[in-house]
Amino acid sequence: MRVKEGPTIYQRRIVVGAAICSAAFLIVFLQLVRVTLLRPPPAGGIERIAAARADLVDRNGELLARDLPVTDVYALVDALDDKDAAAHALADATGAGYKRLAYSFTHAKHPYALVARQLTPDAVDRVMKLGIPGLEFEPNSKRYYPQGRVTAQLVGVTDPDGNGQSGLERGLDDRLHKSAGARQVVSSIDMRVQYILDSEVAAARRTFRTIKAGGIVMDVNTGEIIAMASFPDFDPNWRHFEGDDSDKNIMAGDRYELGSVFKVLSFALAMEDHTTTPDEVFRIGNGFPIGKYVIHEAEAMPATYTARDILAHSSNIGTAQIALRSGAARQREFLRSLGLLDMMDSALPERARPLYPRNNWGTIETATIGFGHGISVAPLSYVTAAAIVVNGGRKIVPTFVKHPEDGRGAQILKPETSVKMRELLRYVVTNGTGRKADIPGYEVGGKTGSAEKPRENGIGYQHHVLVTSFLAVFPVFQPRYIVFVLLDEPHGAKESGGGILAGLTAAPLAGRVITRIAPVLGVAQKPIAVAQRETP
Amino acid sequence: MVRVLNTLCVALMGLSILALYHVSERTRLANVELNRVERQLHDEQTAMSVLETEWASVGGAERIQALAASRLGLTGAPAVQLSSFELLPRRGEEAPLSDTPIRQASVQAPAN
Repeated sequence: MRVKEGPTIYQRRIVVGAAICSAAFLIVFLQLVRVTLLRPPPAGGIERIAAARADLVDRNGELLARDLPVTDVYALVDALDDKDAAAHALADATGAGYKRLAYSFTHAKHPYALVARQLTPDAVDRVMKLGIPGLEFEPNSKRYYPQGRVTAQLVGVTDPDGNGQSGLERGLDDRLHKSAGARQVVSSIDMRVQYILDSEVAAARRTFRTIKAGGIVMDVNTGEIIAMASFPDFDPNWRHFEGDDSDKNIMAGDRYELGSVFKVLSFALAMEDHTTTPDEVFRIGNGFPIGKYVIHEAEAMPATYTARDILAHSSNIGTAQIALRSGAARQREFLRSLGLLDMMDSALPERARPLYPRNNWGTIETATIGFGHGISVAPLSYVTAAAIVVNGGRKIVPTFVKHPEDGRGAQILKPETSVKMRELLRYVVTNGTGRKADIPGYEVGGKTGSAEKPRENGIGYQHHVLVTSFLAVFPVFQPRYIVFVLLDEPHGAKESGGGILAGLTAAPLAGRVITRIAPVLGVAQKPIAVAQRETP
Repeated sequence: MVRVLNTLCVALMGLSILALYHVSERTRLANVELNRVERQLHDEQTAMSVLETEWASVGGAERIQALAASRLGLTGAPAVQLSSFELLPRRGEEAPLSDTPIRQASVQAPAN
């Protein structure tokens, strides 16, 4: 009988020894792989960079908003030997309230009490030097706005947790969060233009002692908002208001009965449908009765005007007749196609639902809406509609992200209508109420708007309490930019000869803005007519 | 023979452990150094970030204009047009200053 021979004891020892060696090699190898290839990123710095909110910059790379490193300080209450002395010292070092600290140290419900949030490195150094045991330092970040009040409402602010709360901070919240790796989001804003608009509107607000004021500069072909100012403003770095400070963006979040600037839209509709021509003569007279109402002019007018002069001199009676030719249904359809009857959809979270007669848009309403009463819209919505009128008649959507390509969409108006409207707007500035916006060397077109404000109770209007505005387009025959300015309740001043109408308040303001921003935006000047006229 | 092989294996294992410990230790030290450099890099980036923000703040147009007005007495100059491309002579033509239209070119601008 043959016995099956198994491995000897020595062979077994060799196998066991080899297995132990292999296991040891494997363990060391895996350890090496772990500490080299699979090493997690170091705690602290790198993680914080990845979690930070992206920078917001203007179209030229100027910084608008950035996260800066700050520190939150907490105290382990039981570790404080002398709670009152610690509260005193920490209040002095951090600026926190002594009473709050003392109370939270003595009545703590949790092991840790908050000492102060968002301390700067200097303040952290002061706290460290106190040598108080039981303090914990939590790295954090704080959003800082180097342009301060100049971009306050437009850029908006974040909450202490770094979430967008208003303005572009909220509107572009997803991009600012998601693009943390890319480090920055490029907006359509041009800080040079923004500053000029902001400073000129602020100066006009002081001159005419308005309660609110604002302005918008928009590229009519790309839809980019180049600048937007709103007053009263606030300091986004300080975050509590003084005086009449406000975080409301009146150009996007408020709605106004804009008055005569709406005549631009009535004329665009008339030109589109050929219900009149610029040279047709209309009777103006002393009043235009419709039903039980009579439409009057703001100023004395001659007995007749051509359609072009109706727009140039802003005749309510003439515009009412032209609007009535279009009819209520067509007027409503047209305004809807311009986006004025719906809430504006833009990157700004501040929006205003338009107010207009939803169920009783009859003859009277057609006439009054024709000259801008009986309908309230956000100024940004109006600017977008006006851009469609002059940009060749194509749909445009306002954007706050840099987008230098042509953004025009579907055809709303015929291109010929747009050309006619440019000529009419130029005529308003050369021969009508917009003369003070006529800047030598630039071909500015525009329209004034002086609207009486509705009473608080919504019944009737307040006499001599106006919202004045000016729509400017330049260069008008090859439109590139719209400048729209608005003054809420201007008062007479020396600069306006005591007058408060838009031609004396808003038009010069728009002119000053164009004078300063046109060279910045690279708009070519035309030969000056005066020089040529005087040449023998 | 088996005993010799066994002894060699054990010796090899010991040497390997020592070698791997050495490599592991060097890796750990390199890792510590890497962390230090990355932290330093982060600190420098943070400092740059703060400096860039300060630069944007102190170099803002609002601040510069206020300083220029208060310290230097400068005010915003209106944009004026001294001439235009159409009025400038082409190369090889007459000198610009002898050209009438240019001498009469307007410098008017709306008062600010």
